[in-house]
Amino acid sequence: MIENRRRLNVLSELLEPNWRFWSLVLILLLSAGALFLYPVSEYQGYVDPFYSPTVLVLPFIALFRLSCYAYRKDYHRHVFRHPMACLNDERMDSSKRKYSGETGFFALNNFHRYFFYIGLAILPFFYYDFYTSMVYQSGFFIFRFGSILILANALLLTLWTISCHAFRHLIGGSVDCYSCLSHGTGVKKLFNGQSLLNRYHEQFAFVSLLVVVAVDLYIRALMAGWPVDFTFFKIAI
Amino acid sequence: MSDKVTISIKRSDPSKGEAPHFVDYEVPTQEGMVVLDAVHYIENNIDPTLSVRWNCKAARCGSCSAEVNGLPRLMCKTRVDKMGSKISIEPMRAYPVVKDLVTNVSHNWEIAKRIPPFTPKPNLPKPWKIAAIDITRSKEFRTCIECFLCQDVCHVIREHESNYLGPKHMVKVAALDMHPLDSIDRSGFLHTEGGVGFCNITKCCQNICPEGIHITDNAIIPEKERVVNEFYDPIGILIHRRKKK
Repeated sequence: MIENRRRLNVLSELLEPNWRFWSLVLILLLSAGALFLYPVSEYQGYVDPFYSPTVLVLPFIALFRLSCYAYRKDYHRHVFRHPMACLNDERMDSSKRKYSGETGFFALNNFHRYFFYIGLAILPFFYYDFYTSMVYQSGFFIFRFGSILILANALLLTLWTISCHAFRHLIGGSVDCYSCLSHGTGVKKLFNGQSLLNRYHEQFAFVSLLVVVAVDLYIRALMAGWPVDFTFFKIAI
Repeated sequence: MSDKVTISIKRSDPSKGEAPHFVDYEVPTQEGMVVLDAVHYIENNIDPTLSVRWNCKAARCGSCSAEVNGLPRLMCKTRVDKMGSKISIEPMRAYPVVKDLVTNVSHNWEIAKRIPPFTPKPNLPKPWKIAAIDITRSKEFRTCIECFLCQDVCHVIREHESNYLGPKHMVKVAALDMHPLDSIDRSGFLHTEGGVGFCNITKCCQNICPEGIHITDNAIIPEKERVVNEFYDPIGILIHRRKKK
């Protein structure tokens, strides 16, 4: 049995009932359908996070997510099953399949820092969305539940972006001798501070993704007429 | 906690052509007992032919590495009452078995020889002085006890053939690269001979390290980023070349 399995190639592996891989494909197809066939770019001052600043930057954000070290860990483990788990591989499942790590196609992940630059450039737009959600009616300042969601989304995206490993390298991780620099103490402090955030990078990565989807679903619910638009206060300015 | 626990040990003796097979032993339990205590009980009271490598029994020497219930662990640091009523113990799979739970880990010394050694910057005034601010990062790597659990749990080492050094040696490379008095950049070595591209950041090494070293976050990823500087990032390559001039 094991010897027979050894002869399987990557293509036939995909035809195995790998529910993780196929459920991911299904989720991506449904999401793409929702985004492009039923676009909800804006509703009463709420800008959908997938359209901030424009849906055209979405591929870059997707690449930022896909090349992120936190997501790399998870899709290698749970989608491509290299490894299936840290436990020893009784089924000899992983060793029978071709593995090139990040030397082949996934070497593209080495360009993560460039997607990070794009991610950093887009961040201010999410804060601008928060501002817009409060002043969208001329002459009024309105604070609603959706604004809190949009702010939470902006903050979590910021935390995820600035806790990035590539950013950690750029702001001091590449330095070997801090005392040799004129401003070495400051660089080390910045590096240490960022390292504190970096410890929670995986958590920020997943919570921020969930909140992006939650904001999108919330705006879709409002568009569908659900009575979930809670206004806390409205002031004439 | 029950009075007895079943310890299932994978026994083999390749020198006598004995194939690997599991043997079950009933061991009386005690408060605070660790897996190594149970193995010692078997060795002293049931079967003295059982072979096991151990030394300090205090998680400092890194000798008693084995796969307990399928996961690489130090036997002296694994409590029996946390592992269930039947505990399986196997030798580390990444290495050839000498006998029973004893494996030959000498391959690691061969890998260590391949790593470009510490090379001090030229004309350093003696005695060498290192500022406290510069040792904090590599200090973490010095706590490695060389138990080789990270090498054993790494799926690249255990399940695939590649030239990847493995997590323990990546820690060594990072400690050398981050040394303030070292003058060599080992990115080229890692990119080619070291096979760093085979690591796919799945963090099992970091999860099981008994010393709690952040192997992936603090050693492997920073080294990968240095490789990016040298071989993938066009801006980084330009800056690096300018620095070299």
